[in-house]
Amino acid sequence: MTPEKIFEALKAEFGGAVGGSSPAAPGRLFIDIDPSRLRDAANRLVGAGGRYQVGVGTDDRHRNGTLGLIHFFAFDGDHFTVGLRTAAPADHPDFDSITPDIPAAGWSERECRDLLGMNFPGHPKPKKLVTADDWPDGIYPLRREVPYNLIPPAAEDVAYQLDEAPPGTTIVPVGPFHATLHEPAHFAVYVDGETIKHCDYRGFMAHRGIEKLCQTQVSYNEVPFIAERICGICGSVHSVAYCQAVEMAAGLAISRRAEFIRVVCLELERLHSHLLLIGVAGHLIGYDTVFMHAWRIREQVMWLAEKITGNRKTYGMVIVGGVRRDITPEIKTETLAILKSLEAELVSFEKAIVGDTLIHRRTKGVGHVPREEAVLWSLLGPTARGRGVDIDARRDHPYAAYDELSFAVPVVPDGDVWGTIVVRLAELFESIKLIRQALERMPDGPVLTEAAEALPALRPGWSMVEAPRGESFHYVLTGEENRPERWRVRAPTYTNLQGIPRMLQDNQFADFPIILGSIDPCFSCTDRVAVVDRRSGRGRVWSKKEMDRLSRSRS
Amino acid sequence: MSYVIPFLNVILFLLLAPLFDGVLRKLTAKVQSRQGPPVIQPYFDLFKLLGKERLDAAGTWPFRLAPVLAFAATLAVVAVIPFGGRAGVLAGWMDATVVIYLLTLAGASVLFGALAGRNTFGLIGASREMITMIMVEPVLAMTLILGAVKIKSLSLAAAAPAAAGAAFGLSSALMLVVYLLALQAFVARQPFDIAEAEVELLEGPFIEYSGPHLALFKYAIMIKRMFYAWLFVSVFLPFLRTGVYALDILVQLLAMAVVFVLIALVGATNPRLRIDQAVRYYAVLIVAALAAVGLGVLGR
Repeated sequence: MTPEKIFEALKAEFGGAVGGSSPAAPGRLFIDIDPSRLRDAANRLVGAGGRYQVGVGTDDRHRNGTLGLIHFFAFDGDHFTVGLRTAAPADHPDFDSITPDIPAAGWSERECRDLLGMNFPGHPKPKKLVTADDWPDGIYPLRREVPYNLIPPAAEDVAYQLDEAPPGTTIVPVGPFHATLHEPAHFAVYVDGETIKHCDYRGFMAHRGIEKLCQTQVSYNEVPFIAERICGICGSVHSVAYCQAVEMAAGLAISRRAEFIRVVCLELERLHSHLLLIGVAGHLIGYDTVFMHAWRIREQVMWLAEKITGNRKTYGMVIVGGVRRDITPEIKTETLAILKSLEAELVSFEKAIVGDTLIHRRTKGVGHVPREEAVLWSLLGPTARGRGVDIDARRDHPYAAYDELSFAVPVVPDGDVWGTIVVRLAELFESIKLIRQALERMPDGPVLTEAAEALPALRPGWSMVEAPRGESFHYVLTGEENRPERWRVRAPTYTNLQGIPRMLQDNQFADFPIILGSIDPCFSCTDRVAVVDRRSGRGRVWSKKEMDRLSRSRS
Repeated sequence: MSYVIPFLNVILFLLLAPLFDGVLRKLTAKVQSRQGPPVIQPYFDLFKLLGKERLDAAGTWPFRLAPVLAFAATLAVVAVIPFGGRAGVLAGWMDATVVIYLLTLAGASVLFGALAGRNTFGLIGASREMITMIMVEPVLAMTLILGAVKIKSLSLAAAAPAAAGAAFGLSSALMLVVYLLALQAFVARQPFDIAEAEVELLEGPFIEYSGPHLALFKYAIMIKRMFYAWLFVSVFLPFLRTGVYALDILVQLLAMAVVFVLIALVGATNPRLRIDQAVRYYAVLIVAALAAVGLGVLGR
């Protein structure tokens, strides 16, 4: 299968409804389709083996009076992605909903509805997703005329309408603040006795419009520093994904050494993220000893990250064109030494977890989803690989220096929470291998490649990065004022969270924390938090003195 | 002297229960490679809670009464028992059934409080607490009944040590194992802290409680834990006696500290079970406890 064959097949089936195709880069293709045949074409792509990635809405009214929509599909086995591009007039922006066939598209469509004012007739759950319950109708934040710092007046007595409870169930409110959640989100869990029958999700409580901010206020090379703050864990993932998208749009080839350094950052992140999650998983099943030891082992990775990037959280490292710091021979030697002791500790840690039968009892058969349904919901990362779905963006859509490195992609057929833990444990060792290889094979050279000239407008670029939780997807459309015109982030949790109601179905309420925990949910990734205070619309800078006083008065 | 013993028991338990809890926390921390709070932290916690505003979340008298009842019932248990091997004046009127009754009353108070609080998490916690009580109390009862069968008396001072006393037979050995396996459920620690389950039920039955009310519940739980440690020492280690009252108390306290070490180690090395898994486990324990009593009746 090649992108061209896909295009020919669509052309043969839908004839005139298929416009042109434009290759955006090798392995990246746009196919234009008439909105009336959008749903059929999307189904056709999924039938051909495409995995739904994300829907991106664009505001093109100033150019041609339309609102644009791109549904992205990845053909993982054949190493290419297709963007199914369509548009509808802004005064009548109706697009057939593809969610009834492709459930993973549900949130993308609801987001386009909230932020751009599109309509999706046939959507099974046309509720608000992103905007607040009291956000006024008719104001669509991502449209060009809406200022980034607009604060509409708050309204009283507006609340999210929960799904109707199935007969015989009661609602247990998990959230907005609950010990299982480490960030605000609301799961209404419908239980019959202790058995979960249904679950409704209301999130995006910390949504602060980071995409809008970056589309209107900052420049290309400032975005990475905001991008990496989308998430508290995978900073480099988001900045690398964004930078790669911009580099693809600009046709900029960066130095090989920078690509290797990016690999080191990304794999360090995977190490500490997986250790974090395995610890948290222990805590969620009431096993705090696992939690404490996982985080103790994790700490040395954080120190290593600080040595390499200057930050415990691999922040401030990646920019468009390369990276900001080189890895010196001394740091390399030190890193290899730390990796050696880390690996030794991980071996006994893994043995302790795999050998603990009580952990098996709490995780095996819990949150079970068969492989076909995992594919249907487009689950990502360890959540998918623990259910027999063999996908990994590092191998399927190679980026940075992964094409030159050898590593295994652990896949287990279990289909439950235990499977996802096994996969993560195995990936810890693969990450250590990858960092070692990257450090050994790293060629000499500069770490930063400056773009020769200003970036032309309206060039698209998109990139996938395998975050610890699964594939992160960034789409960038270059703009006029040295900043992206459209930047869309789809973190893996955005997709995996949509599968949560399915994973919870008919499980015990006591297993709710570990099932939710098993996708390693990152609500800030889905909410995309920015640094602007919503109430005042202004940033507030605390001095160190004030911070000290504040933290002391609260403790 | 026999009039002093009930008061002495109550004072000793009130004074030492937080200390045992502190030991439990410190040991757990050590297993988890943490520093842990100082061993006297539970005293601070109780003082802090007692000094806080008394919020009446439910606004009904059962809600306010429940913690007092739980605390009072637990103290009553302590007043009756022959701590240090010496029975007080109350033992003359109260036998083993009263102890079981009072412990059930303390457990039921937790349920009343949770039901009066009318919180979804509290109600789920209460239903789990109820299941746990129904499944675990029989093991406690069987332990005392085994002693009663052996000496043909329900008197606590005689029955408790008799379960494994003079004739440490097959029945005593079996009951010892069953008691140890049920210990974590008695003291509501992992893997059986199911009713409180922090991450899912947010302390379950106690979710609506704060301040002094919560302090009473916490205090009652600490004393209850100490009681179950004492019961183990008294029933299964009756040979730990010197004959000197003060020395006997000291010996029993030291032995109880060892039981607490066990509780801490098992608690720190196990995840929490689900209630359905726990019920299957308890069912096996009940059958085994019944078998032990059966063996006791047969004189083994």
